[in-house]
Amino acid sequence: MKFLLGVVLTFLLIAPLCVQAESRDEDPAEAMVRHIAKDLRCAVCQNQSVYESNSELAKDMLRIVRDKVMAGEKEAVIRDYFFQRYGDYIYLEPTTSGMNWILWGGPFLGLGIGGLALWAAMQSWRKRTLEASAKTQETTTVTDDTMKKRIQQEMDQVRM
Amino acid sequence: MTHRFFKDKGTNMNGIWKIILLGAVLAILILFALGLNNDPRNIPSPLVNRPATNFTAPALDGGPPVSLEFYRGKWVLVNFWGSWCISCISEHPYLLELANKAKMRKDFVIIGVDFRDTPEAAKAFLARHGNPGYKQAMDPEQKIAIDWGVYGAPESYLVDPMGTIRMKHTGPLFPGWFEMRALPLMEGGER
Repeated sequence: MKFLLGVVLTFLLIAPLCVQAESRDEDPAEAMVRHIAKDLRCAVCQNQSVYESNSELAKDMLRIVRDKVMAGEKEAVIRDYFFQRYGDYIYLEPTTSGMNWILWGGPFLGLGIGGLALWAAMQSWRKRTLEASAKTQETTTVTDDTMKKRIQQEMDQVRM
Repeated sequence: MTHRFFKDKGTNMNGIWKIILLGAVLAILILFALGLNNDPRNIPSPLVNRPATNFTAPALDGGPPVSLEFYRGKWVLVNFWGSWCISCISEHPYLLELANKAKMRKDFVIIGVDFRDTPEAAKAFLARHGNPGYKQAMDPEQKIAIDWGVYGAPESYLVDPMGTIRMKHTGPLFPGWFEMRALPLMEGGER
């Protein structure tokens, strides 16, 4: 009975692996269709790609992508077909040309400026802390002397 | 404690930080203003001022196929619609009016492209809301629509006599659209 249970459980564990292995042998043309359609924005949806969306426009766009892939058109040609008709908007990821470099470069520029500002701030904090600690040391020595004197006085009094 | 960093740094540093802060706030405000003025429906079409792609498609009335090229030499309003489109109902009375106007003019025609639709549904729509009488091309798989960069319905393109797309209008055409938007282009002549 235990053995049987073991076999069943093992099978249950292995079964999903087989399913995954199956999807790995995808038709290369279909993989190409997915690759292209995942980068195209479904124009009537909120931030969904043509591949993921269920809208009619996306489905028809996907069909056009598929037809073109089957007809042997290159990826760049197919992407350009949609770009020529829908403009920049059709790409989910903005291209790195034209004014779009601000989108791509901006964050790094901001990070750089922020880093410089932080470095400058830390320098000034460090300087201030050093100055402050030097001052504290002076005060401590002074206090120490006065305290010692005072203690000595008290001790003298006690002795007398 | 942080404010000491700004305060103690002397007037020079203080000024720089003020300018940076002011610049950042201004930049955000400008971007905000630009974003607010942007109509999300109005995505600029790269097709404007480019040659219109020709199409030849079955006619809704069963007559000879509808072809854009056939109307070369006239201004053509290509109106994309569907019987499933709610805004098309509100646009329809103006299309009926515009169709009458087109009958009076020799230089202006209208073609409808009925996409993602069935002939039965389209005919029922026209029977219910009025048939403007111009040619209707059928585009069940919206191949023409995608070829023309259409997002939804209704969308209209104005094609000049040379076959160049001169304007795109997203959404329903409004009363007075012809005089306000089309005529200035038509009277401005061909490019």
